[in-house]
Amino acid sequence: MRRFFANKWFIIALVAVFLVAIIILGAIPNSPLDKVLTPIRAVSNPIQSGIKGFGGKVDDYWAAITDGVAIRKENVELKEDIARLEHEVQKNEEAIIRYEELKDAFHIKDTFSQYDIFGASVLSREADEWFSVIRIGAGKEDGLELAGNNSYAVVDTKSNLIGRVIETNNSDSKVLPILHEGFTVNGKVNEVNGAVIIVSGDASLKKKNLCLVTGIDENVILEPGDEIVTSGDGGLFPQGIPIGVIESVDYSDPLNVKATLRPYAEIDDLKDVFIMVPYEKEDVSDTSETDTGTEDEQG
Amino acid sequence: MYPIHLKRIPVLKMSKVEIVRKYALYSVYILLLTCIQVSFPDKLSLNGQIADLMFVFVVLVSYYYGLIDGIVIGLIVGILRDCFAAPAIIGFNGNVVSSVGIGAFALFGVSVFSASVFTVRIKRKFAFALLTLVCATLLYKFFGHGIIFIWTKIFSGSLYRLSFKELIIDSVLTQLLLNVIAFLPIYVLLRFAGPYKRLKNPKLQAQEGRGTDNSWLTI
Repeated sequence: MRRFFANKWFIIALVAVFLVAIIILGAIPNSPLDKVLTPIRAVSNPIQSGIKGFGGKVDDYWAAITDGVAIRKENVELKEDIARLEHEVQKNEEAIIRYEELKDAFHIKDTFSQYDIFGASVLSREADEWFSVIRIGAGKEDGLELAGNNSYAVVDTKSNLIGRVIETNNSDSKVLPILHEGFTVNGKVNEVNGAVIIVSGDASLKKKNLCLVTGIDENVILEPGDEIVTSGDGGLFPQGIPIGVIESVDYSDPLNVKATLRPYAEIDDLKDVFIMVPYEKEDVSDTSETDTGTEDEQG
Repeated sequence: MYPIHLKRIPVLKMSKVEIVRKYALYSVYILLLTCIQVSFPDKLSLNGQIADLMFVFVVLVSYYYGLIDGIVIGLIVGILRDCFAAPAIIGFNGNVVSSVGIGAFALFGVSVFSASVFTVRIKRKFAFALLTLVCATLLYKFFGHGIIFIWTKIFSGSLYRLSFKELIIDSVLTQLLLNVIAFLPIYVLLRFAGPYKRLKNPKLQAQEGRGTDNSWLTI
């Protein structure tokens, strides 16, 4: 036995088997293995945030130096915009009061009224084409907790779909981005009775920042430029989140029509995101039946 | 008397300052390179690929400083990779899960490979370090694509589709180019401000009997 442990190849094989066992255990649903990394995260997360913050400041200072003239010009334009917008805000305040009155009178629902919105900054992004999960700075301590096969939609500052939360830790969460080949969402053309389709990530389209569109009925005419939003079917994502626009459509096989979609979200330039958490079922039991389900048919 | 595999090897002692310097520099480089890669991938990317600073660091450490240092650094960097940017895989229930251990396994394998090829009877030189990096990158990419193809096929039934051009040019060659570019600054860092002076691990030097006939091939 001692002879075995003195052999470096035996030790290497042992470590390799141990790591493979960890990978397999980690793929089991609700595996507790991830908790093993919690102490490491407690140390590494602040350091990473510090380095990211420092890099961001250097970037900002550099931009301030190089973009000085452009910033001054933009500043003048923005001041004009602010003055104009302030005038519009004053006008709209009265409209808001009227809308609230009508909303109560006619029971109008806001698009995402059954969702609590959590803001979070992006902590880290992909390390290579496979290590591609996005880490965001909101976790269990902020009230984000995944149960069972539940998941939450994640959108950017313009409410465009970014992806969905697949794991929550104490202070951070992991987001599966829309371009990942494991991501799927039911979508529809953004018009009355728009055609329902399936949008998913694709390994070969990912590098071009495109998604694959399937499930297109042969009678549906899909055209480049059509806007696609979430359909709300499946229950994971609320209805009406903008996903992107159709880039191209391939009708060569009528039984298997495919298209490509360019997401609105700019994953490469992502700094802040919002997580949409549905209110508890008791609170919304009398409202939309498709908005808060948890069945995970969209992966 | 010890059997040959347990034979006592004379080890050149490092001073306390050198040992502290070694651990401090390893810690700084591990955290710095890992954090830069996951914090600013947009600044390191080309054609959808990202210069893999962690990977290049592990290859160079393993190549120049030997198997033990390589394995330890590979595992630490791999665990951090899993913490910061884990890969999402199809779990056993068909749902996508964030995995644990793939980064550690991959960089452990890379460290064993880098410490084991072009080091036996070959002096550790710049050209062979570069060659090791090229071979390690090619192996990593081809194994990675192969394993993901098989895993996806088994657990989700769908295909991991990539054309030959996408596989070779967009993925493998682009990654190779970026890693070779990243090799130069990391090499300079280790050469002039590395954990060991002049890229030489004293333990390794003693073990391999450098300066004897054991090493014959140099560039």
